Amino acid sequence: MTDFQDTGERRRTSDAPLLITELIDEETVQSIAQEAWSALIGDDEFLVPLPGGLPEDAVSSWVEVVGPWTGAVVLTCGRATAEELSRCLLAEHAPPVLDAEDVADGMGELANVVGGNVKAVLPGPSVLGLPEVGAAPEAGVDALRVDLLWRGQSLTITVQGSAGALTDQQNNPQKNEVPL
Amino acid sequence: MRALVIDDSRAMRRIVSGILEGLGYEIQQAGHGREGLDVLDGGWLPDLVCVDWNMPVMDGLQFVSAVRSNPTWRSVTIMMVTSESEHTQIVRALAAGAHEYVIKPFTADAIRDKLALLGLLPQEVAL
Repeated sequence: MTDFQDTGERRRTSDAPLLITELIDEETVQSIAQEAWSALIGDDEFLVPLPGGLPEDAVSSWVEVVGPWTGAVVLTCGRATAEELSRCLLAEHAPPVLDAEDVADGMGELANVVGGNVKAVLPGPSVLGLPEVGAAPEAGVDALRVDLLWRGQSLTITVQGSAGALTDQQNNPQKNEVPL
Repeated sequence: MRALVIDDSRAMRRIVSGILEGLGYEIQQAGHGREGLDVLDGGWLPDLVCVDWNMPVMDGLQFVSAVRSNPTWRSVTIMMVTSESEHTQIVRALAAGAHEYVIKPFTADAIRDKLALLGLLPQEVAL
């Protein structure tokens, strides 16, 4: 691709790893999430930056980012919140009864949209992985966590370095469709 | 008018399809690029394709390239609807043959505005 813009900036393996807290701040993550919520969940849906306890049945969805900074953008909330979010996402297109696949799909898409826009403010070029849903990958020390309340229910968005984000997808590059 | 909506997310397919149906489009859906090509191969030629970028099996960029390499499908207008928002990605998609690019999250109005730019708003809606 001749159109690909190369900044000329190069990193060496001896360079110190990029830390997420030096690349993006909580306000930016919250702003990205709020934009996603307003467009996908509803105009009047607000994310309030307040910590709250996640329930024991919390589920996560995440997308990986592979590039100069490698890690994952993880959205975590309780199952009831996940179902409510998926129903809001589908709005009038929601079936009368949401099945588990609908909820996983909705959560995955929210992570995909937030993750894609987080990737856009990180150093590039980077590859965005496909959304995954399940138990949250453990966050290492390189992590930025944003605690939010939506309709009074807790959810977190964590942008975490690869130490806690390795999944099968990272070892299976053909699942990432966008070549570096 | 006809539109083919290609996205691996069921939710996003329903949302985009709902917006287009509301504008009077007849819709077919596909879960990835290969399925989208199967629809075209089957002879259902749309006026518009809305295609995501990151999908399993065949991604949106590969789909755009495949459509553009087939003269039978030259008339199809392609709009990428994706969370890939880096400038370089947008340039790659347009260079591959996409006509427009909508970044997720989007609103129904954003889709409608892009269709108006492309001259693909059904006449009764545009008035």
